[in-house]
Amino acid sequence: MFQSRGGKDKSMNISNQIKGWFASLTIPFVLLVLWQVIVSLGYVPAIILPSPEKVFSTFMTNITQNDLLRHVAASLERVILGFIIGALGGFSLGLLMGLSRTAEKIFGPTFHVIRQVPVIGWIPLIVMMFQIAEIPQIIVISLAAFFPMTLNTLAGVRNVRKEYLELAAVNGFKGLKLIRRVIVPAALPSIVTGTTLSLGMSWAVMMAAEFFIDTSYGIGTRIQAGRSSFNMALVLVGIFTVGLIGYGLTITIEALGRAVNNGRDVHKEI
Amino acid sequence: MDIIVAENIRKKFKLKNGQKVKNNGVVSDEVEALSGFNLKIRKGEFLVLVGPSGSGKSVFLDLVSGLSAPTGGVIYLDGKPVQAPSAKTGYVFQQYALFPWRTALSNVECGLEAKGVPKDERVRIARELLSLFGLSDFEDRFPYQLSGGMQQRVSIARALATKPEVLLMDEPFAALDAQTREILQNELIRIWEGTDTTVIFVTHSIDEAVFLADRVAVVTARPGRIKELIEIDLPRPRTGEIRSSTEFARNRHKVWLALKSEVSKAEQYTKLATGFAG
Repeated sequence: MFQSRGGKDKSMNISNQIKGWFASLTIPFVLLVLWQVIVSLGYVPAIILPSPEKVFSTFMTNITQNDLLRHVAASLERVILGFIIGALGGFSLGLLMGLSRTAEKIFGPTFHVIRQVPVIGWIPLIVMMFQIAEIPQIIVISLAAFFPMTLNTLAGVRNVRKEYLELAAVNGFKGLKLIRRVIVPAALPSIVTGTTLSLGMSWAVMMAAEFFIDTSYGIGTRIQAGRSSFNMALVLVGIFTVGLIGYGLTITIEALGRAVNNGRDVHKEI
Repeated sequence: MDIIVAENIRKKFKLKNGQKVKNNGVVSDEVEALSGFNLKIRKGEFLVLVGPSGSGKSVFLDLVSGLSAPTGGVIYLDGKPVQAPSAKTGYVFQQYALFPWRTALSNVECGLEAKGVPKDERVRIARELLSLFGLSDFEDRFPYQLSGGMQQRVSIARALATKPEVLLMDEPFAALDAQTREILQNELIRIWEGTDTTVIFVTHSIDEAVFLADRVAVVTARPGRIKELIEIDLPRPRTGEIRSSTEFARNRHKVWLALKSEVSKAEQYTKLATGFAG
C-alpha cells in the first residue's frame, strides 16, 4: 500500500487513533468496575483483594517514599543488559547455523537439548556457580533472550528465497557483503520477530529470577516483599507495574522493528 | 566475432526422491533439459531463444550466467569457459528481479556496490539509467510501490549498471499486460540500439522475438538443442510501426513454421510426463 500523504489523511488518522485508544481502554475499565463491585459487596476479604483505591494509594506512597522507581530501574537495567547479551548471542548463533550446515550439525543438537529445559530450571545451578549477586540474574535473563532469538534468526536465514540468492549471485555479492547486504536484510522480518519475543521473554523471566535470587532492588523483589508481609496491595502494585512496563517495552521494540524494516511492506511479494 | 560459444552442452536434473519420468519409453529419475546444444552468439547481436515450455531455454541462460554448471560440454565467454557468475554478464529475471528492501535507486546500484564502486559514482550511474527509463521521479520507491512494468524497467537498469558485455533476459516481460509489454519492448530496443551489448533473450512470444531479434534461435522440445537459426531481416532502428508491416508478418511466419512441430511434440510429452514442469 502507498503511504498516505496530505493533511486530510492525517486528521483522519488522528481521529482513528483516538478511537483506538478508547477501544483499548474498554476492557481495563470494565475490569476496574468489576473489581470495585466485588470489593464493595465484600465477596472477598480486603486482606486478599484490597480495593482499587487502596492499591492506588499504595502505588503513590511507593513512588514517593519507597523507591518504587529505583526498583523498576534496577529491573530494567538487568533486563536490558541480559536481553542485549542474549539477543546478540542468539543472533550470532542463529546466523552461523543458518549459513552453515556444518555449524548446525555441531551446535544444533546441543542447542535443542538445552532449550528443552525451562530457563527457570537453570536458576539453582547458576546461583550455586556465581553466588548471590547481579551476575546470575543477568545470566538467566540472557538465556531467556537467547533461545527465541537463535530460533528466529535461524529460520529467517534458512528461508531466504532462492531467487534472492540468485539475484545476489548475478550481482556479484559474495562473502561478508552477501551476508550483510542480502541475507540479513532478507531475513530481517524474522529477526525482528525474534527480537520482540526475546525482549518479552527477558522481562517475564526477570520476575522469576528476582523471586528466586535475592537482590535488594527489583520489581520482582518488591512483589516478593509484599507477599511475605501479607501486603496484597503492594503485590498488586508490583503486578500492574510489571504489566505496564512490559507493554511499554513491547510497543517500543515493535516500533523499532518497523523502523528498521524501513517502512517497506515485508510480507508483500514482488 | 563470437562472444559466446556453447559446445555440445548437456544438462541433466535429478528429480526428487521417488519421482520418475518417462523418456522415450525409458523410466528414469533424471530429466535431460539440454542435449547436444550448440550455439555461437555474435558480439553485439540481439539473439532471441524461442521454444516450447520445458525446452531448457532458461536453463541455458543459467549456464551462460554461471549460476549453474553444465553436466557436459563447455560454454565459452570471450574465449574463457564460464565457471561462476561474473560482472561480464547481467541477468534480468522474470520474477523476484529486485530486492524488496531496497529502493529503485538502491536496487540499480547494487551490482556496482558489490564491485566496490564508491557511493557518489554509483548514485550518478544509477540516476542516469533510471532517467533513461523515465523513472527519475520514482528513485526512492520500494519495488512493491511500483507497477510491474516499472519494476522490470528498474530491473533492466540494474542489470545494465555494471555495463555487462552480455545481457541475459529470461522472459522479462512475460508477467506484464500486452500494452505495457509492447511499450517495454520499444524502450528496450531503443536503449539497446545505442549500445554494443550482446543480448540473449528468452521468450514464448513469436511477435516479441521477431520485433527484438537480429537472429531467432528455435529450440527443440526437451531435451533442448538448436533446431534452426533464423535471421530477422527487418531494418534498424526499429519502432513500433514495424509490427504491422508485411515484412514483419513474413518473418513471423518463418519462425512459426520452425516452432510449430516442436510445440506439438512438447504437448505430447507433457501429457506423458505429468508432474514435471521444467
